[in-house]
Amino acid sequence: MKEVLVIGGGIAGIQAALDLAEQGLRVHLVEREPSIGGRMAQLDKTFPTNDCSTCILSPKMVDCARHPNIVLHTYADVQAVEGEMGAFRVRVLKRARYVDEERCTGCGECALKCPRKLPDEFNVGLSQRRAIYLHFPQAVPMIMTIDPEHCTYLARGKCGLCQKICPAGAIDFEQQDRHLELDVGAIVVATGYDFYDPRHVGQYHYEQFPNVITALEYERLISASGPTGGHLLRPSDGQPARRLGFVQCTGSRHLRHNRYCSTVCCVHSTKEAVLAWEHDREVESYIFYTDLRGSGKGFREYMDRAERDYATNFVHGRVAEILQDEALNPVVKYEDAATSRPQRQTVDLAILATSLVPRHDAPRLADILGIELDEFGFVHSEPFAPAETSRPGIVACGCCLGPADIPQSVAQASAAAACAAEMALG
Amino acid sequence: MHNGPKIVAFACNWCSYAGADLAGVSRIQYPPSTRVIRVMCSGRVSPMFILEAFRSGADGVLVTGCHPGDCHYISGNQKAERNVEMAHSLIRLLGIEPRRLRLAWISAGEGARFAQVIREFTEEVRELGANPLLGSITSQEEGVTVS
Amino acid sequence: MYWSQSRLQEPEPRVETPRIGVFVCHCGHNIAGYLDVPALVEFARGLPHVVKATDSLFTCSDAGLAAIRAAVTEEGLNRVVVASCTPRTHEPLFQATCEEAGLNRYLFEFVNIRDQCSWVHMNEPDLATAKARDLIRMGVARAALLQPLDESELGVQPAAAIIGGGMAGMTAALTLARRGFAVTLIEREAELGGSLRHLFKLYPTHADARALLERRVAEVNDHPYIEVLTLAEVQSVRGYIGNYELQVHSRWPGMPSPLSVQAGIILVATGADEHKPAGAYGYGDDPRVLTQGEMEQRLGAGDLPSLSSVVMIQCVGARDEARSYCGRTCCLTALKNAMLLKERDPHTEVHVLYRDIEVHGTHFEDYYAQARDLGIIFTRYTPEEPPQVLGDGRVVVYDELLGARLGIPYDLLVLSTPLVPARGARELARMLKVPVDEFGFFLEAHVKLRPLDFATDGIYLCGSAHWPAHLDEAISQALGAAARAATILSKDQIRASGVVSHVDEALCRGCERCSEVCEFGAIEMVEWTPKDRLPGFGLTQRAGRRMVARVNAVVCKGCGACAVVCPTSALQAAHFTDRQVTAMIRAAMGEQDA
Repeated sequence: MKEVLVIGGGIAGIQAALDLAEQGLRVHLVEREPSIGGRMAQLDKTFPTNDCSTCILSPKMVDCARHPNIVLHTYADVQAVEGEMGAFRVRVLKRARYVDEERCTGCGECALKCPRKLPDEFNVGLSQRRAIYLHFPQAVPMIMTIDPEHCTYLARGKCGLCQKICPAGAIDFEQQDRHLELDVGAIVVATGYDFYDPRHVGQYHYEQFPNVITALEYERLISASGPTGGHLLRPSDGQPARRLGFVQCTGSRHLRHNRYCSTVCCVHSTKEAVLAWEHDREVESYIFYTDLRGSGKGFREYMDRAERDYATNFVHGRVAEILQDEALNPVVKYEDAATSRPQRQTVDLAILATSLVPRHDAPRLADILGIELDEFGFVHSEPFAPAETSRPGIVACGCCLGPADIPQSVAQASAAAACAAEMALG
Repeated sequence: MHNGPKIVAFACNWCSYAGADLAGVSRIQYPPSTRVIRVMCSGRVSPMFILEAFRSGADGVLVTGCHPGDCHYISGNQKAERNVEMAHSLIRLLGIEPRRLRLAWISAGEGARFAQVIREFTEEVRELGANPLLGSITSQEEGVTVS
Repeated sequence: MYWSQSRLQEPEPRVETPRIGVFVCHCGHNIAGYLDVPALVEFARGLPHVVKATDSLFTCSDAGLAAIRAAVTEEGLNRVVVASCTPRTHEPLFQATCEEAGLNRYLFEFVNIRDQCSWVHMNEPDLATAKARDLIRMGVARAALLQPLDESELGVQPAAAIIGGGMAGMTAALTLARRGFAVTLIEREAELGGSLRHLFKLYPTHADARALLERRVAEVNDHPYIEVLTLAEVQSVRGYIGNYELQVHSRWPGMPSPLSVQAGIILVATGADEHKPAGAYGYGDDPRVLTQGEMEQRLGAGDLPSLSSVVMIQCVGARDEARSYCGRTCCLTALKNAMLLKERDPHTEVHVLYRDIEVHGTHFEDYYAQARDLGIIFTRYTPEEPPQVLGDGRVVVYDELLGARLGIPYDLLVLSTPLVPARGARELARMLKVPVDEFGFFLEAHVKLRPLDFATDGIYLCGSAHWPAHLDEAISQALGAAARAATILSKDQIRASGVVSHVDEALCRGCERCSEVCEFGAIEMVEWTPKDRLPGFGLTQRAGRRMVARVNAVVCKGCGACAVVCPTSALQAAHFTDRQVTAMIRAAMGEQDA
């Protein structure tokens, strides 16, 4: 059977893997985190239909795990690629979880007893996890992972409580990293994106003001399975946030930061405003924008409805600065385009729609794969061949190519599968 | 009501059953009043099933499915809505309080909501008391013995 | 018709005496720490038809699975019930185990006593155990009524019918042809190319449209697996996934018509048309007023006079009462034509009157910056104060930034209008029995997760037929739709789940309620001819002409909505039959004081 490597287990990687597997190819899906799911697993609801992200992602994740033609390599990284289209040899590092994957049932007893607590990356630091943890409740595979940096036993030889109480005897502190050699005919890059560090946009005072948060933090707060159970509570005092200010283009369309448009923020901020109102009818939202962009299927109607029915005010005015009053309420300073005068709007919570940027290690991966990045740091794709990278045999899809919404990422993933299948089958 | 109200709940495989599982994974506690029957789609729940549940002595019946627009089978939950509506009219004729039948939309990510719905509905049914039909209809079955 | 004989539904087999094995899991402490597992085992042992009941520490472990297999063989079990975590993660594993032991996978029943019991009633072990008893009783009651189910198979015609020969259609055709599938490309016009034939340059690189078009057309014409039918239109469509038949009418004089096209899948790539805004801003009366498409053609033809001022108005016929959507491609098209005008003559003043500049992403945002650098003047207007044309060759617009009204003279007034569904799209949708959205664009199965599929299996969608698309998007979607199609075409047979509906044709009255209610088109009405004389049914001899419902097991998704509406119970949802569900309901109430 011909084999293909998919790097990245977010929605794009998952879709590409499924399409390839269904065409009779064997797929190695390599994912850096302990579970597949990617960014979509961190979202509560997705626009424009506001359906629950987990509900639509989970079945695909489970399909991936169960598909006879898909081999999941989670908690793993691609280290080296040699060869050419039709015959690549890839070296993958499979990091030690210190948990026996065959025995662990994901019951979670160990995590309940582990004494080490640290910020939970999945919840963007808004809650805590243990040193032995499940990436998120619907993780696939549902296998615990021990973080070697923070595990007392691995660092200092003390504790080992998890091993004592694990009913399946799955803890294995002796486990080693492993190297795998994969022979594949084609490679699909689906490594997704990072968010721009809002601290770069100093005038928004993200670091200093507790009630200035990022869109991703907001997503975790509003999420039913997030750190506050879906209640929008202000970080400073835990009070419900009723006046919301969404600051568009944080770091986007800006010569000093990222000069491009991040495509999805106008619509995702709209969604966030709608979700807040659905939770609490007293919420009122202000979305401060430069151009209000949304041309995907159903997006305009979604934004019109938000304005009409969900107490969302679209304010045409770029935010110059965010200040703070004595009650720690963010005060948004913007130029009102209608009157050309500077205005201020006090809100309970300011949400920064930060740019979608290439993964911080994109240059390293590009180097390993021998593919070019464009001037923005995203994976370069050939003109009129949107899935093809600069290297024959390697294709890409999803946000590693540039900011894209979910329907685009999914369509691109199928496109990448089409090209990869052709390349692998020769 | 022996040990508290007994509720027959129908949950759809893709959304509400998954939400119920999530409540479990999250260890969210709720009263042990419900007996869940998994169906592929809330649209499978016929008014006949609802009537049978009351006839068998259930104090409450809960039909759960995907939020509008999310149905894995496109419009199954809309069908569920109509079926429950019909069942509401029918149970009224039988002298069963309509509040004993409830329809709730619960998504796969709403573990807390599942628990909340169970809590609220259990309380509501507890206030209404035992199924008014109890003792007035006997069941006769062949082919299936129930112990 | 190319198909393999799909297994015909046999009449319901005589119910063999069930011999049920119940396996209660400890799941370490997760269940055993809260429920009285030994008591549950004891209870299960006493249930009807249970010949073996036991427990294990982790039923999903190798040891646990081996125990199940051994029990099936040694105790002659013909039904297996596992009471443990949740079917959503573990059912396939246990079903596979049953199959390995020689049992049909559908003779397995799962009882959830962890995620929905021990984990959520941790402080009420007695009540939780009582609930678990009920749940096990329910599971056993259902297990006794489970039937072995067939997974029927259907052959697949390894050919594709693609409707629409523009860039999307051609790209999909080439992708599938290169994979070795026969492709019939059906194009309404006399030439391939679609909208690309009317374009001059392509944003954002200003690559030559004609060059790209000619290259792609040559590739298509050269490929031996692609049959191109031009001046051809689809007249009717029959069949289902793996086995479609299209009747295609050819308008070439002398060509036989209609032509029959057999295909395993159908791909819709019919594109979109530019909206012509009759009456808007004098369009249609005033020769100075044109659409962007018309502007582009004149730029391409090179027959424009010297122009001192061109004004472009965005969102004409879009984002309004009649059409609420944003056309997605119109801002970029306007930027392109504006820049071409500037390149042609830097002295031409070009104004773009817009509501929002809809360019997104990386390269397009740079393109917009380029346009500004060329000196194109952008003026924002609001829907409350739209631009107005006075008869004197000026456009009046309220400039928000200046806070004043401007009167801009124009030699040409170019209206940016959105793409609208292609002429004939609705009729095609009806023929294919697929839906369209409120604007008439084809409606996919799921906006996010299945943007290139229809809910009806075996039909796919790409390009502007789906929604206004940039060229790269149309290409991407075409490749994607081809991949989706290839997941079917690459199989010799497609298998259905056993969990599908079945019709007892002797009971069916042909009322058609089921076929009306089916979202997936899985039920069709067929003429019924009885296979045997059915004792007691006098009706069978009524000249044998009766319409009955028949379920296509491969297309059926198993939702069971049809079973609810059947007035005679002719239609049953396998694995979730009325009897099975009813048995569970009664079992749930088993401990109620009557």
